[in-house]
Amino acid sequence: MVQKVLEVEKLKVGINDDGRKIAIVNGISFTLEKGETLGIVGESGCGKSMTSLSLMGLLPPGVEWLEGDIQTHDLHFKKFNKQDWRKVRGKRIAMIFQEPMSSLNPVYTIGKQIMEMILSHEHVSKQQARDRALEMLKLVGIPRPEQVLDEYPYQLSGGMRQRVMIAIALSCNPEILIADEPTTALDVTIQAQILELMKKLQEQLHMSIVLITHDLGVVAEMCNRVIVMYAGEIVEEAKVVDLFDETKHPYTKGLLASLPDIADEKEYLSSIPGIVPAPENMPSGCRFAPRCPNVHQRCMEAPPLFDVKGSKVKCWLYEHGDSEVVM
Amino acid sequence: MIGYVIRRLFHTVLVVFAISLLIFFSIRLTGDPVSVMLSAGEPSKEAIAQLKANLGLDKPLYVQYFIFLKGLVMFDFGESFRSGGPVIDLIMDKAGATLALAVGGILVSIVIAIPVGILSAVKRGTFVDFFGRVFSLMGISFPNFWLGIMLILIFAVNLKWLPSSGFDGPQNLILPSITLGMILSGILARLVRSSMLEVMNQQYISTAKSKGISDWAVIIKHAFRNALLPTVTFIGLQFGSLLGGAVIVEQIFSWPGIGRLIIDAINQRDYPVVQGGVIFLSIIMVFVNLVVDLSYSLIDPRIKSGGSGHA
Ligand SMILES: Nc1ncnc2c1ncn2[C@@H]1O[C@H](COP(=O)(O)OP(=O)(O)OP(=O)(O)O)[C@@H](O)[C@H]1O
Ligand SMILES: [Mg+2]
Repeated sequence: MVQKVLEVEKLKVGINDDGRKIAIVNGISFTLEKGETLGIVGESGCGKSMTSLSLMGLLPPGVEWLEGDIQTHDLHFKKFNKQDWRKVRGKRIAMIFQEPMSSLNPVYTIGKQIMEMILSHEHVSKQQARDRALEMLKLVGIPRPEQVLDEYPYQLSGGMRQRVMIAIALSCNPEILIADEPTTALDVTIQAQILELMKKLQEQLHMSIVLITHDLGVVAEMCNRVIVMYAGEIVEEAKVVDLFDETKHPYTKGLLASLPDIADEKEYLSSIPGIVPAPENMPSGCRFAPRCPNVHQRCMEAPPLFDVKGSKVKCWLYEHGDSEVVM
Repeated sequence: MIGYVIRRLFHTVLVVFAISLLIFFSIRLTGDPVSVMLSAGEPSKEAIAQLKANLGLDKPLYVQYFIFLKGLVMFDFGESFRSGGPVIDLIMDKAGATLALAVGGILVSIVIAIPVGILSAVKRGTFVDFFGRVFSLMGISFPNFWLGIMLILIFAVNLKWLPSSGFDGPQNLILPSITLGMILSGILARLVRSSMLEVMNQQYISTAKSKGISDWAVIIKHAFRNALLPTVTFIGLQFGSLLGGAVIVEQIFSWPGIGRLIIDAINQRDYPVVQGGVIFLSIIMVFVNLVVDLSYSLIDPRIKSGGSGHA
């Protein structure tokens, strides 16, 4: 029996410009199961970060929660006030960011920054918090943890800082970890180490991870299930094997085709022509239609998410289930 | 660290030397002290020559300058033309009043500007921000003397709450400090606002928020703590213009400080007092900047004052 730890229901997030609502994330629904890693992929600007920030109640000024709900166990985020959010952040859901070089406060020691998280959620003494911070540094594989506790971020490399960020995020043993492009800014070898670490800790701590990335290689490596987002909507949701072996949505196919294939001799990168439309002038039908190689009459109308063999696809080609149209 | 302080002291000597040149020659463009001092009656040629010789003004200009410089090395500013007493005594007599005023002015500007700047930044685009910015603009555009006179009219003349002049107690310090501090607080509030806005865009602010700590902990502990460096630098840099402002404020409030001493001395062409006063103020200024620089390493662990690295 799988246990749901997070349920996002018809979440709509956007700009409320004097009553004129422009959706950035347009009514997406998904669930997160205990212990799994859910990938969210899509081109830049498709709303991945906005989705993850909604989960933390940290939407930037000017961007509002318009509709829908997010639920974890008995908590409904829609009804949350500031105080409720503070209890969730860090304690139930923690987050790590893309830029390890700038995500730690330059003026406080590493130890202080980990302790702050612990002290804000748990009734422990400073010494206990410090002991826990040290434990966390050991857990994430920081060499000479005793010294690092009293060092400042500038004294650490990018990879080490991202480990520290993970230590902070996991210090209150959250059920869910959101990682928004956690390795994009790192060297390839460091990237692999950080992903390895996340995988190891996930098993050790039984947490669920939402991993946002635009690197399908990382998805293949890390995820159980994947959500493909396009222009603020989910266009495909599938188990990771199915996503690669039985790719359905033309957009996903385009993303996969633009992956550099090392086995392939030719270094040709086919990328999807055109750009993601801006939230304020979305096409009225299928949002991908203007860039889609399979566009047809039906696409003037927005498709729903069709269930196809355990996957979900937002494309008219799958209106009649798995009867895949020859392309 | 020690090497750094020595470099800075050397730098200070250069600055003081340049200022000594400037003030020595520019004060001599303002007029002849002998004619001011002997203005009563018709002085004889002999009397004029005698006085010039007494004051050392009969020697060539470069000789006078070297005598002045030689004294300066021993912290000897010479004797006042008027009273004959040592200039250093006159200055020390007034230094306390000026420093009290400068510190008062800085305190007032900090107490006003930091909350205004922080609130403006946090409530960016709201009416709080609007008022904050109007306040900054007013602080910047009101001339010192106008503000001083308005404060005297309201609080001293009409309400009779506070004295308008003199130096009998702490209550005397209030109006002059506000006058002096308001100007600085306008610019300072603007600077705090813009540094806060910049800092609040940083990733580590998102990290802080994601920890579930209170909004104010994010704003003060994380954002303002980082906006402190430009703020302190700025206050240090403004210290010079603050002393300049003090000269005017001392006039308005009959404040017995170095500013008034210098202005009176200029009117009387009392060269040694003017020279001594200006040099003294510049030494204070350079010293304050040094202290500010040294305080950086306390504020920002990344800065080690260009020193050995192991603090
Ligand atoms: N503060 C904001 N106010 C208004 N619109 C915003 C704001 N921040 C982002 N947006 C818009 O929201 C949309 C989605 O942005 P988001 O950051 O979620 O994209 P993303 O999928 O994370 O992209 P990336 O891969 O570049 O991180 C973009 O079209 C962007 O223009
Ligand atoms: Mg993003």
